[in-house]
Amino acid sequence: MKKMPNKVDVPSVKSVISKHEGKAGSLLSILEELQENDVHKHLSEEILMQVAQKAGIPLSQVYSVATFYSFFNLKPQGKHTIVVCRGTACHTRGSRALLLESAAQLGFTDFVEEDESALTTPDRKFTLRTVACFGQCALAPVVAVDGTIHSHVTPGKLLKLIQKIQKEESR
Amino acid sequence: MSRISIKIDGTPVEVAPGTTILEACLSTGIAVPTLCHLRDVATNASCGVCVVEVKGGRSLARACVTKVIPNMDVQTASPRVMAARKMAVELLLANHPTDCLSCSRNGSCELQSMAERLNVRKVRFPSTRKAVAKDETSPSIIRDNNKCILCGRCVAVCKEMQSVSAIDVAGRGLRTHIGTFMDRGLKHSTCTNCGQCTVVCPTAAIVEKDETDAVFKALQDPSKVVVVQTAPAIRSSIGEAMGMETGALVTGKMVAALRKLGFDRVFDTQFSADLTILEEGTELLERLTKGGTLPMITSCSPGWISFIETFYPKLLAHLSSCKSPQQMFGALAKSYYAEKTGIDPANMVVVSIMPCTAKKFEAQRPEMQSAWKWWKQKGQKGVAPYFDVDYALTTRELARMIKNVGIDFSRLEEQTFDDPLGQSTGAATIFGTTGGVMEAAVRTAYEVATGKPLPNIELTAVRGLEGIKHAELDVGGTRLKVAVAHTLKNARILLDDIAAGKSEYAFIEVMTCPGGCIGGGGQPILPDRKKREARAHSLYVEDRNMPVRKSHENPAIAALYKEFLEKPLSHISHELLHTHYAHRQM
Repeated sequence: MKKMPNKVDVPSVKSVISKHEGKAGSLLSILEELQENDVHKHLSEEILMQVAQKAGIPLSQVYSVATFYSFFNLKPQGKHTIVVCRGTACHTRGSRALLLESAAQLGFTDFVEEDESALTTPDRKFTLRTVACFGQCALAPVVAVDGTIHSHVTPGKLLKLIQKIQKEESR
Repeated sequence: MSRISIKIDGTPVEVAPGTTILEACLSTGIAVPTLCHLRDVATNASCGVCVVEVKGGRSLARACVTKVIPNMDVQTASPRVMAARKMAVELLLANHPTDCLSCSRNGSCELQSMAERLNVRKVRFPSTRKAVAKDETSPSIIRDNNKCILCGRCVAVCKEMQSVSAIDVAGRGLRTHIGTFMDRGLKHSTCTNCGQCTVVCPTAAIVEKDETDAVFKALQDPSKVVVVQTAPAIRSSIGEAMGMETGALVTGKMVAALRKLGFDRVFDTQFSADLTILEEGTELLERLTKGGTLPMITSCSPGWISFIETFYPKLLAHLSSCKSPQQMFGALAKSYYAEKTGIDPANMVVVSIMPCTAKKFEAQRPEMQSAWKWWKQKGQKGVAPYFDVDYALTTRELARMIKNVGIDFSRLEEQTFDDPLGQSTGAATIFGTTGGVMEAAVRTAYEVATGKPLPNIELTAVRGLEGIKHAELDVGGTRLKVAVAHTLKNARILLDDIAAGKSEYAFIEVMTCPGGCIGGGGQPILPDRKKREARAHSLYVEDRNMPVRKSHENPAIAALYKEFLEKPLSHISHELLHTHYAHRQM
């Protein structure tokens, strides 16, 4: 098996597990907290292996849970996250253009939309992803930038938001 | 217990509480079609084929999981039901490859036969699924998720029956698939290669790695001497695989078929099973008298070996150091037999017919080149390393070969094995079923330890399909407690006791598969308890019919020790017949 660099100390995984262990659905809470603790907000292979080993849960089951919930990221995430809603209401009000414009602005050339796209820039500054529905259909189209939901977004508005963050980051 | 009255298609029916609609229908002679459901294995209600209409219910009910309630009025073939079933299959077919004609499950695919049964003649829906790569990392098992219908049977056997959980459902929505950890493939998972997933898979999504082409090639090569060995369990399953009744005992026809296929020598793994008893029995007596690690656990079943190596590496000292009969045979064929007959071992191809997919993995373990090492030590130089066993074919692959060349199996005249590696005893025959190795060991150990004949040769306490069986034996005044487990989940229970220091046993037999090798992962597909019972019964019949029923009375084994090995656990037998184990912890 490939050895991965040990980014997080073993005790912290252990303590997170012991905090939640025994409660119903503890694996979810364990994974949630570990992802939150991670610099790149993701669950590395090494972390998942430690969880399986220390919590006595089969590796395949840990993987099953981590891949079922869209909340969990198995790839390192960018510092800033842009989530474009691709639900029906947002779609009819132009969310596809929002997605394509942001992809272009962030430098993802040859971007092709797949279901649940998630892309991170090589400098790990931005992650662009889609979501099936935020449940904010009355405000369509909506885009979440670093957790803040922006409503009635136009490509122009969105580009300005992204450019602003890009400018701050390049300082 | 009061019974529940319901109506099925207008006919009043009384059933026990807790009965499912599916079972209630079966009891009145209505076979509701099912696809994902497999009795005693998995009921995930994922396919939607078994739907029925329940009066007063808004949606159709899945018969496999819905329990009957009083006065239920069930329609099993209403227009709505028929349309829904057909659509469920059409939707599955829309996302299924259409290479049925060249598929390895052509003719034995449950999806294919369901489409036929429900008279599906066109698929109205376009495919939405993208082609994905096959998992071909394992030496035993190939997974093709393109053909998976997500019934969940493989996950159930891996988790519930074997407590291995190498695979699980991964992803979500359209991306839902059966996967290993990080989708790295079976080889890099906790998979023990037991192959139980291959016997329950309804389609060709999980199949054994087929090596029949390579064996045909060897058979057609005039420069090769191709030697075949057959595991005990094959004689009560290859007939079934060739269309005879379940459990048909076909030892003589099997030998005849192998000769017709062109094998130069037709030998029997039972020969080395007898040898295993002598080596392992002696090892046990040594451990008992010299204070070795106890309980000692059998080592014939390669899925079990991978399991303990992966999950309990600290307990490896409990394993007998004996190789499995397959590997003992290969090592002897290419050393003892090659020397005796003047055949160049590098030109010999050893093929084994096994009820098992893990045997493919075992044959390729790097340490299984004992004959080559033995010749090298004798001064042979410049020969590239070769394995003791070249190919391990499953029962299903042998059936494929027999059909392929057009042998009318049921009409074959019975023939007998070649000498000397074809001679065996009834004790070796019962190796193929759970409890058999224990019973065979007792038949010999008792007589070797006491010098007296065993009062009752049949050890019924360890027979049958109960998960864990126990017996207490009186061996010349010493009382020995023994246990027998089949399936890895049951083995785990005994191992946990050992790890906790609570095990009271001296000797434990473990077989990976339900019922032992007769329920192996290489056996005819779609297992159930009745099939296992029939196959096991045939092995016990064969045992009774054998002229010799104790391993130490096999004359060919006596000759082998006299001419070659000297005595059990001798230096040479350690070189050729014993092995060591590896930590495989994930």
